[in-house]
Amino acid sequence: MKRKWTLFVSILMVLLLAATGCGSTNGASGDATKDPIKIGWIGSLTGDQAPWGKCESQTVQMLIDETNANGGVLGRQLELVALDTKGDANEAVNAVKRLVSQDKVCAILGPNASAQALAITGVLESAGVSDIATVATNPKITVKDDGSVNKYNFRVCFTDPYQGSVAAGYAADVLKYKNAAILYDVASDYSQGFMQYFIETFEAKGGTIVAKEAFKAGDTDFRPQLTKIKKANPDVILMPYYYKEVALSANQARDLGITATLMGGDGWPSDTLFEMAGKSLEGSYVVNHFDYNDPEVKPLTEAYIAKYGTTPEINCYMVHDAYKVLLAAIEKAGSADPQAITDALTQVQVKGVTGTIKLGEKTHNPEGKEAAIQKIQLNPETGEYEYAFMQKYGAN
Amino acid sequence: MSVFLQQLINGLSIGSIYALMAVGYSLVYSILNFSNFAHGGVIMLGAYIGLYALHLLPMSFLGALIIAALGAGLIAVVLEKVAYSPLRKRNAPSLYFIISAMGASIFLENLVIATIGPTFKTYPEIFNPVPFTFGSISVSRIDVLMFVIAAISLAILVFIIEKTKVGLAIRACSYSSRGSNLMGVNVNRIIFVIFLLGGMLAGVAGMLFGMKYTVYPQIGVITNKSFIAAVFGGLGSLPGAVVGSLLLGLIETLSSAYIASQYRDLIAFTLLIVVLVIRPSGIMGKITEDKA
Repeated sequence: MKRKWTLFVSILMVLLLAATGCGSTNGASGDATKDPIKIGWIGSLTGDQAPWGKCESQTVQMLIDETNANGGVLGRQLELVALDTKGDANEAVNAVKRLVSQDKVCAILGPNASAQALAITGVLESAGVSDIATVATNPKITVKDDGSVNKYNFRVCFTDPYQGSVAAGYAADVLKYKNAAILYDVASDYSQGFMQYFIETFEAKGGTIVAKEAFKAGDTDFRPQLTKIKKANPDVILMPYYYKEVALSANQARDLGITATLMGGDGWPSDTLFEMAGKSLEGSYVVNHFDYNDPEVKPLTEAYIAKYGTTPEINCYMVHDAYKVLLAAIEKAGSADPQAITDALTQVQVKGVTGTIKLGEKTHNPEGKEAAIQKIQLNPETGEYEYAFMQKYGAN
Repeated sequence: MSVFLQQLINGLSIGSIYALMAVGYSLVYSILNFSNFAHGGVIMLGAYIGLYALHLLPMSFLGALIIAALGAGLIAVVLEKVAYSPLRKRNAPSLYFIISAMGASIFLENLVIATIGPTFKTYPEIFNPVPFTFGSISVSRIDVLMFVIAAISLAILVFIIEKTKVGLAIRACSYSSRGSNLMGVNVNRIIFVIFLLGGMLAGVAGMLFGMKYTVYPQIGVITNKSFIAAVFGGLGSLPGAVVGSLLLGLIETLSSAYIASQYRDLIAFTLLIVVLVIRPSGIMGKITEDKA
């Protein structure tokens, strides 16, 4: 008896799917209808990354509610279809397949992880629907190895190499440094990309790279390289690697009597960095995605806390900006057609909470987006080191 | 000139850490004819013991150093009983000892990750962090301390080996453990002493390493370099281990200073291979028939 029922329900579902599929090949997201515009979201709602995914999907829901309350877009309401990827690349592919074939979404927001964002490239391309990733920083998500762009992959976070340009620009233009030295991890893509773009930008702005020294992840002693750097007498030393080596090399630099300013990126922040090398890092600059204390960021934080009762993760801010870009693109396209939206994504510029975002046509990355420059300072009241927000800063 | 002097000091400082660790390898190799790859694990545990001794008990640096040395010595002895002694009793080939050592090393690392955690831990600031400066040359206090403690530890070790009865037995065993056994030397006791001494040196090395850099479960990896230094100097020879370590430290530093830092390991190890091709037993090693 049970088997008969299962069979019956299965047949019914297949028929239903077929019916919706046939009836709306180019209809559901068309302009004439007053149906809600569907926006997809994928990310982890279960598994290790669930706290981030949950925060991200809740933020999108909150923003959509807000937009709907203000009359929606193009005179239509918005509807969110959020699907769980369980933090798994295969699940991400399945979720996107469902969103584009069954739910007929106009575009997709998320995921936050690079592996999932890379995995969905093929499905997006065959369906002609765009995705805006939130915190996936791997350069290959939007630009292939041969330099061509993945047509339907976009993102709102900066890439690893981008940090290099920002750091170099800030060092040359704002801090007015002329000579820079670099210590980098020869075995890390992150470090190499960061360094390469730092050099290009710094030299283009008239600066000189006076020393470029390498080490390999796992090394603990950097004094031979730092001794050479000291002799070159730089104004600033770029340290584009992760916090353990940052702490060790910063301590050793100060031991050797190096007084140059130290600079790094989003590989620095960690709970133990200051414990290991607080004093050595005092006065250093860090390029970060954004700053929690930035006045432009605070209203969103407060709105989120008011609605959900907890403090938001970084994903809240990134998906907020991804949503803003998408909304602007829908308005610019004047329709909910996925291809029209894709074409419009690189034509709009929005002011998000993490900076001004304009997605580049050749890269699909935010171009000239302002990163948050933070300075490490001792708080005289608490006696602890902390990141002080200096300013938003873009590379161009 | 001052840069060259600074680089020499850097090289000697790195070399003296390698030396403290390399001597432990050589001690075991000289008697048992195999390389104790679990030595790195003992060094790592020594670093943790020293850290907790300083944190939990309100004691001086010297007290914590002694506890770290004794604790690591004890661990090395237990390791010998569990991982090597059963193999020795069965006359297993050297290869089995090496496999057992690697297993023990992985076990110790994962034990620490599972119980203490994988994060980095820092030693409290014991000594004035301001380095000594001579013109533009600077030497950190901890480097001077390491050099002195390494020298004292090695001197004590040499004294034990050269001047005491146990030392005589160790030297006899290192020539021929079977012959010494026939002459009435208790080889098991000598092996106990060897692991205790090697372990205590590992404890000292671990604590100093932790103070200078930081403590984490993978610090044993650095012993790969000190093992290579021991081979370079001549496995089984204590002076060889020290000389090999200091030379490796200097070669690494100078090649990164005057050739290119990205090729440092490549240059240093090419040089080592060349030396070993010319002189397979290392700079000061005795010729042995089967090397592990």
